Amino acid sequence: MEQATPPAAAGVDLSPAATDLGRVHLLPCGIRHNSAAAVSDYFKPRDTGVEVDGVKVEEAFFRGRNLQGATVALPDGYRGYVLEKKKNEEKDAQGMDEEASNFVSRAEFQNITYWNHDTMPSAEDPLPRSFHWLAIANAMHKPVTAEDMANMSARQNQNS
Amino acid sequence: MAAAAAMATAAAGPEWATKEPCLMGIDEAGRGPVLGPMVYGCMYCARSYHDTLATLSFADSKTLKEEQREELFESLKMNSSIGWEVDVICSKVLSAKMLKRTKVNLNEISHNSAIGLVRKAIDNGVLLTEVYIDTVGDPEKYRVKLTEKFPGIKFVVAKKADSLYPVVSGASIVAKVTRDRALRNWVFDETAQNMHMNTGSGYPGDPNTIQWLKDHKHPVFGFPTLVRFSWGTCTPYFKNGVEVTWESDEVDEDAAGYGSAKRQVTLSSLGFTGFKRKSEEIESSGKGRCKFFQARKLELVRKFQ
Repeated sequence: MEQATPPAAAGVDLSPAATDLGRVHLLPCGIRHNSAAAVSDYFKPRDTGVEVDGVKVEEAFFRGRNLQGATVALPDGYRGYVLEKKKNEEKDAQGMDEEASNFVSRAEFQNITYWNHDTMPSAEDPLPRSFHWLAIANAMHKPVTAEDMANMSARQNQNS
Repeated sequence: MAAAAAMATAAAGPEWATKEPCLMGIDEAGRGPVLGPMVYGCMYCARSYHDTLATLSFADSKTLKEEQREELFESLKMNSSIGWEVDVICSKVLSAKMLKRTKVNLNEISHNSAIGLVRKAIDNGVLLTEVYIDTVGDPEKYRVKLTEKFPGIKFVVAKKADSLYPVVSGASIVAKVTRDRALRNWVFDETAQNMHMNTGSGYPGDPNTIQWLKDHKHPVFGFPTLVRFSWGTCTPYFKNGVEVTWESDEVDEDAAGYGSAKRQVTLSSLGFTGFKRKSEEIESSGKGRCKFFQARKLELVRKFQ
């Protein structure tokens, strides 16, 4: 594994009052299309009445396949963005690093509905599990206070 | 889960059918077309009624005009000596089954539908002794399969059974009229503009069908769900549309020996649009990272590009 390098200084502009999509769909396939599509006219999720691990399972069809979906809310304090790469013609003129790109927010969302092909959604799916990382990262990166240290040494003394 | 095939109930076990030995005919409508439901229909009557049935001009249903079939269907519904049932398998279910991770072929779907009709009649108390059925695939293999499922019943599996046996002709009217009505009364799931139902026969030789497919194709979504996406007729339209790759197809290709050359970037890597990677990785996998990240398919994105 290579050493992680910090992300190149990409400019991400989240300021525009973007459309609130409410939710986005994550499909279990690759779609080689990178622009708008008439999702609400063609993609029609339906409630199945089934619940798994307390999550409602929906059903939808895409390109003839039957998909089962579950909706996951982003944790408090997080927000999802649909970013579009800015066409930057002045880039060279400003002598910017070629690696850096500029993105602009086109839409926001608070929920992700992820879809499985022929398998029931469950808490074991990678997407809901990926949110575990947020809690772990927070714990790992939280500054350690003098109080924390004092508590810890007190506990160690007790144990010994 | 997948929408269950709709079972429309006609008469649940008429009294005569539970007392007298009965014979049943089974036939299908709409197996070949690229759109709309496939309908399996059955008709049954007491053996003692069979001679009368043979005089009811059900024979050769395919040569009948639509209005004549409608009339015959209405008259057989009114006939208290006849029982019937249909199994409507909508295009959505056909596509989904044939494109499952573990694909179910059309013959198997057809067999299961016919088996379902026989089972339903038995569950309703019908005293079935003989079943006549139009073949799907090899007649003898099909007969053996049916006999194993229902050992007490004599199965006659034949090509063109609908023109040979009056009960099968009756069943073919039940099936055909049900399919025609389903298409006539079709309500699109989709809310796109300018959709219409001038579908033609659903066969690629029909100019109306070809025109309908052209009118309803969509680069991203393919077609409305009225279409059977698993049909070869659709393939050229998908080739011209946006490329969509599925994990289950890759497994197939690998098994078929195409190897990794044809593999495409899939899943989450493309689920979020807008970044490419240096090497063509197959999945966003967290590959090379510790197990925690691999299990969650969390990849480290070093740069947005």
